[in-house]
Amino acid sequence: MAAKNPQAANPAFYALLVALIFMSVGPIFLMLATSFKLNVDIMSDSSALFFFPTIRNYETALCDMLWYEVEHVRRCDPTFGRALVNSLIVATVSTALTLVIGCMAAYALVRFRFMGRDTVSMTTLMMRMVPPAVLLVPVFGIWTFQYGIDGTRFGLILIYTAMNLPFVIWILQSFIVQVPIQLEEAARMDGANPFQTFFLVVLPLIKPGLAAAAIFTFRVAWNEFLLGNALADRNSRTVPVTIVNSLTEYDIDWGVIMATGMLLAIPPIIFTFVASRQIITGMTAGAVKG
Amino acid sequence: MPEIVFDSVEKSYGPTRVLEPFDLHLADSEFTVLVGPSGCGKSTTLRILAGLETLSGGEITFDGNPISHLDPKARDIAMVFQDYALYPHMNIAKNMSFALRLKKVAKSEIDERVQRTADLLNIGHLLDRKPAELSGGQRQRVAMGRAMVRDAGTFLFDEPLSNLDAKLRAKMRTELAEMRNTIDKNMVYVTHDQVEAMTLGDRIVVMANGVIQQQGTPEDLFKSPVNKFVAGFIGSPTMNFLDGDLTDVGGTMTVAGDGFSLPLSDALAARLRTHGGKAVTLGLRPSSITLEETAGAAIDLRVIVAEYLGAQSVLVTRCGTEDVLVEANSATPIAPGTIRTFGVLTDELMVFDRTSGLRI
Repeated sequence: MAAKNPQAANPAFYALLVALIFMSVGPIFLMLATSFKLNVDIMSDSSALFFFPTIRNYETALCDMLWYEVEHVRRCDPTFGRALVNSLIVATVSTALTLVIGCMAAYALVRFRFMGRDTVSMTTLMMRMVPPAVLLVPVFGIWTFQYGIDGTRFGLILIYTAMNLPFVIWILQSFIVQVPIQLEEAARMDGANPFQTFFLVVLPLIKPGLAAAAIFTFRVAWNEFLLGNALADRNSRTVPVTIVNSLTEYDIDWGVIMATGMLLAIPPIIFTFVASRQIITGMTAGAVKG
Repeated sequence: MPEIVFDSVEKSYGPTRVLEPFDLHLADSEFTVLVGPSGCGKSTTLRILAGLETLSGGEITFDGNPISHLDPKARDIAMVFQDYALYPHMNIAKNMSFALRLKKVAKSEIDERVQRTADLLNIGHLLDRKPAELSGGQRQRVAMGRAMVRDAGTFLFDEPLSNLDAKLRAKMRTELAEMRNTIDKNMVYVTHDQVEAMTLGDRIVVMANGVIQQQGTPEDLFKSPVNKFVAGFIGSPTMNFLDGDLTDVGGTMTVAGDGFSLPLSDALAARLRTHGGKAVTLGLRPSSITLEETAGAAIDLRVIVAEYLGAQSVLVTRCGTEDVLVEANSATPIAPGTIRTFGVLTDELMVFDRTSGLRI
């Protein structure tokens, strides 16, 4: 009997699938495994898969944030804990700022008629096309010599917000366009002022767009390295910068780096799960006759 | 309820004029229907009244107070939109109470008013649902309830029934007619359906090309339309128009054209003598043509199709090259393709000037 579905029956198809899975999950698994090893196990030549798991690396990374005294740590280095806090603050605040400013800007661009509207709309996107590396030097100069906000979380928040705004404005525009204008007119007839119309009627309807934009913005702010490396100082460093800076020529503590890497991966995952639940289609179903 | 007066109101979008300057007087607690074909400016008029569009000239007054500079919310107006415009993220109760909540009305009063209005419209059991879970007719009721619950002085309806199927539309029309009698408010209703206009309106305003053609009671419009457009728009099936020339046949004024020659009644003839024009268009209501050859003047028509509607049939016939609709009792069988003599009630004929379209 001939195979009903030749594609599914082909072993090469599965082999390719397995290879792809292995390639994408492999490094993460390796990182996870390494983060639970002692340095002795990491450096030894014996099999990588059999070891005695330990949470020591995590304890070391978070030593100043734990409620108990960690025995094996002689001198608690607060770098990683501090970096995690920095990352959380910078990413969350810049995401929130971007969304607040972005949704209002997008609404204005979609609904209000003013001179140069299309130009403004296009320019926002063009800003996005400039690679961060190009921005690096001027931003560093301005942040340092003009405003003196280098080495602060605020400086990072500011540049991340500026970097993400164009994309957020762009993506939210397409969502706002889909909100039927009759809904806003109905709200006006019901006695809503422009702000009430925006916050009570439009904003709830573009929730999926806000969620998508939030995921994107959070991820970019969380992972950003280049500008973070240039602008942050010892106290305001984010996790990616800290990890790279802990690779020194004298000592590389792989266990702690891997543990930090795992910790670094958790917040975006949680954030994405929470935010993606808001991405449901058909928000405007039932508003107007289709 | 305010007395609404439009004083030479006009509207242009850039160089395009969509509403010629017009005056309109809507008396207290009157049900006014703006009716006309698509693009005639009736919706624009309504939106200007609502405050969703600005006017380009003139003024609207409510009881003598100019309101054209006011926001919609300051005009004490509620509006029902053509495609409902329900807030999809709120349930029905929240939809209906939106305006009241914005006005910071006490919660207990909101609940009471929403429940009362919902019961009135038979949607009391749907209050917890979202608009997406409702059928078209139910959404329409909610849209109406949302306007009614506010207890505004003036209600605007922008083609509220046009998205419903025929049966539901007839039902809602009846309910609206019933509501009109119980609610003591100004109502302005926009529609392109002359049946809705005729059944609902105390006063009908017929518009075309941004100009008010005629306004009056349904009976006025049906019996004495001022021009060919109004005559053709009001009435169902629509009026037949036959081009012809005025001639004097042995002392009787007669209109003769391609395939017909109809004498005019004395009253009409008297008016036409003073008019003097030759080229006219004759208007015959389908109901003025009967199967009895002896009633009034005779006309020969070739029957093309007989549309059976039950007790009545509409016969599509041809006179020369023009189609002529005839409303006939279905009891008399008529085979398509035959040529038959019909009787025309000459008292009900209307004559229009062919160039200006005005009724003579």
